[in-house]
Parts: sequence; structure tokens; C-alpha cells
Amino acid sequence: MNYVYDFASVFRNADTLIDGLSLSLEIAAAANLIAVFGGFVIALLLLSPSRLIRLPATLFVEFFRCTPFLVQIFWFFYCVPMLLDVYLSSRALGILALSLILSTFNAEAFRGAVQAVPRDQIDAGIALGLSPFQRVAHIIFPTALRLVIPVLLTNGILAFQTSSLLSLVAVEELMFSGKMLSAKIYRPIETFTVVALIYLVVSLPVSQWVGWLERRRVRAER
Amino acid sequence: MSNSFKSARPDPLLRIDAVYKSYAKGAPVLRGIDLEMAAGERVVVIGPSGGGKSTLLRVVMGLEQIDDGAITFAGASYVTVTGRRTRIDARVRRSIGMVFQNYTLFLHLNVVGNLILAPCKVNGESRKTATARALTLLDRFGLAEKADAYPSQLSGGQKQRVAIVRALMLDPALMLFDEVTSALDPELVAEVEQVILQLAGQNLPMIIVTHDMWFARRIASRVLFCAEGRIIEDGPPEQVLGSPRTERARDFVHRVFHIGG
Ligand SMILES: Nc1ncnc2c1ncn2[C@@H]1O[C@H](COP(=O)(O)OP(=O)(O)OP(=O)(O)O)[C@@H](O)[C@H]1O
Ligand SMILES: [Mg+2]
Repeated sequence: MNYVYDFASVFRNADTLIDGLSLSLEIAAAANLIAVFGGFVIALLLLSPSRLIRLPATLFVEFFRCTPFLVQIFWFFYCVPMLLDVYLSSRALGILALSLILSTFNAEAFRGAVQAVPRDQIDAGIALGLSPFQRVAHIIFPTALRLVIPVLLTNGILAFQTSSLLSLVAVEELMFSGKMLSAKIYRPIETFTVVALIYLVVSLPVSQWVGWLERRRVRAER
Repeated sequence: MSNSFKSARPDPLLRIDAVYKSYAKGAPVLRGIDLEMAAGERVVVIGPSGGGKSTLLRVVMGLEQIDDGAITFAGASYVTVTGRRTRIDARVRRSIGMVFQNYTLFLHLNVVGNLILAPCKVNGESRKTATARALTLLDRFGLAEKADAYPSQLSGGQKQRVAIVRALMLDPALMLFDEVTSALDPELVAEVEQVILQLAGQNLPMIIVTHDMWFARRIASRVLFCAEGRIIEDGPPEQVLGSPRTERARDFVHRVFHIGG
């Protein structure tokens, strides 16, 4: 086989991929932002002393953990507009679907971190007169957040990569743009190599950063 | 007769009436605590480990449910029990401040951030005036240059001093100190005790749990010896620390003075 590589034609169409990347980044960033709070709130529900609150939260989390992402995304894109009778742009649906998935993952991380907030810190908050909501907002959330940042970042990269599944429901993100481009220029090898490299280049620094944060924590604990 | 005697005295600052408390069913930790404390008093609580000293302070701070009894503060009903429910008046609670044995500074906030959190969020004070007050107080306790430091950059002694100042920001009418120096390296104990002595000099009422008998003798106007959830001795420091009436207290004081050096 004598294949002649032609990356040049991919780069000539770089703007298609750049558009796709920017939508991917936008969706992933928005989902991450929502899922930091979503994950924290779900964690609080999971830790509620009331079974009536805990049970639905547990079911919610288990649903997302025990079904494939792709099924969740299809379900979300086809069922939500019909069930709720609302029209949302595919970008908004993509953000919502990814936010929910990511929230359940972040919730798991937050659950441990919330439990790790020292009881004394919360007591100090009570002694200072902070209301229950103020204790959650000003003591429990920031303290847990510090513990959980490496996991949030790891989950965040995963969400960015998972956003590629949205190409299957016609969200015009990076993977979708890659497919369009490869069909247009008949260069699947080159196109998907470049697409893969783009995912890598975006994710690698974050994953290196997580590694650095974790090494620093281990050092600090010693 | 006894009634007219009582009403002749001013309302006590703190009045604890027959307080019972258990964490687990059938294992009472406080077994009928009665205490009247006047505004001018500095009460030191001593006693063996597990005797309920911390629990007593936590109950006074309004951090715990109780099984039975009542607490009034400055004449106002503060902790009451109806059936199985404990009602704690949050407004009354705000006039009491507490510093704990473990470090409780909020790690995500710097020193000033720790000090102004409650004044701003609870009392609605402006950041600007709260910060100005914080800086004044820090200066008074020799912590001015630590205003922007984060807790991780402070020594244990500094952390506890900041924790004291944080409680003072809310202008408490009663301060509770639960073994605030026992997690510290020995050479850092004095600086924290110095701050508490400074507050004693300003006549701030306080209840102090400590194992440091020398400090107890210096600061107390009254000493309680607590064991097994009861107040076993209650009197001036010379008496309770010097010539305890009960054998338990005598043994305890002997032992601690000898370990303490
Ligand atoms: N949160 C809790 N849950 C269950 N039991 C507790 C709890 N806190 C304290 N206890 C128990 O209550 C008893 C009294 O404890 P407390 O901490 O009040 O004693 P203490 O006099 O402060 O002792 P120390 O000098 O060791 O601090 C102990 O038997 C302890 O095990
Ligand atoms: Mg104790």
C-alpha cells in the first residue's frame, strides 16, 4: 500500500475544526461550571439525614453511573424535548446533558470531601452565628472544594472528551466537524489524526496540572 | 425565704438548671449540672478526661441537644427542652463566643477574612468597617503583621490567638475556652494564655477548661471540679486547687500539679 499523506488539505480547512473546537470548549466549560455546583448540591442531598431526600438523589446518581453516556445523551436529546415540550438549541441540550453526567461524577467526589470537612470547623461556624445556609456556603463548600479540585479537573477532562459523543446527535462540535471535514476532503486518516491531537493538546496540560497538584499535596502532607 | 434571698441578687449572667446530656442512650455524660455564674466571674473547669468538661462547654455554646434541663443567659431563656426536642435561641447564642482545642480557622480565608466573615454575613456589617475593626484588634494582640497571612502560614499559637480575636469580633458577653493550648508546642502556650489574661484584665466573663493548673490559679475567680458529669467541687481557686474537700479532687489536683511540674 502506498498511501500518500496529505495533511495540508486538513490544515487548509482548519477553520472548520477550529469552529468545532470552540463549541466543544464552550460546552465543556459551561458543563464544568454548572457541574461544580450541581455536584456539590447532589452530594449534600446524598448526605441528607432524610431518606426521602437521599433516595431520589441516589437513584439519580445510579442512573447516570449505570447507563452508557451515549444512551444518556440519546435519551436526553430525544426524550427531554418531547416530555417537557420545550425547544432547546442543540448546544443548550448538549450543555445540559453533559452537566448532568458530570454532576453525578462530581457529586461522588464532593460526598467524600464534604464528609472530610472537620466537625470543629462547622462548630466554629455555629459558634460564630452563621446560619445553616451560610455554613454550607462559606465553610463547607470552600473547604470541600479545595479537597476536590484535582478530581474535578480529571472529571472535567473526561467531560470534554465525552462531549465528542454529542457529534452523534448532530451537535456541531469538534468530532462532528471532523466527520464533516473527512467526508468533504476524503482524508479520514489525516482528519481524525488531527482531531485526536487537538483533544490531546487540550487535555494534556490539565492532566499534567492534576498530577502536579497531587504531588504537591502528597508533599504537603508529609 | 430562699426566694427573697435570690431576688435580692442581680440576674446571673449564666444560669444552668439541672442539665442532663447523653450522646448515646443510657450513657449520660452530664448528670444534673447546676451552675450560676455572675458577670464578673472567670470560671475554670478542671477534672479528669471524659468527665464531661467539653460537653458542658458545647452545651453552653448551644452546639448540643440536651436531654433535660434549661439554660438562661442574661435573664433570657436560651436552651430549653420540650419533650425530646432541644430549643436553642440563636440570638442569645450570638452573645457567646468559643475557642476550641483544635484549630478552627477557615483555611480558604486569610486572617482578616476569618475575622470579618461572621460580622459581615451575620451582623450585616460593611466589609470596610469590619476590616478596620479587625485590624485594630489584631494590632492590640500583636498580630497586625499577620493580617494577610493564611492559616497555613501561622504557628499554632498564632492560629489560636487569631481564633480568639475572631470570637471577639462579635463582642461576646461570655467567652468559652476549651483546652485552647493543649494542642500547642509547650513554647507557644504562654502567648495564648497571655491573650486570655489580657481579656481577663478587661473583665470579660469566661469559662475555661484547662489542664494547666498554674494558669488556672492565675486566671480563675472560681474553680469547678467536674467528674462523671457532675460538678463535684465549686469554690475559689485557693480552696479547690489548694485544699480540695473531696478525695477525688485532691487526688486529681495532686496528680496534675506534679505532672505539670
Ligand atoms: N460526639 C460524641 N459522641 C459520643 N460520645 C461522646 C462525644 N463527645 C464526647 N463523648 C463522650 O462523652 C464523655 C465526656 O466527654 P468530654 O469530651 O465532654 O470529656 P472531657 O471532660 O472534655 O474530657 P477531656 O479532658 O479528655 O477533653 C466521654 O466519655 C466521651 O467519650
Ligand atoms: Mg475535652
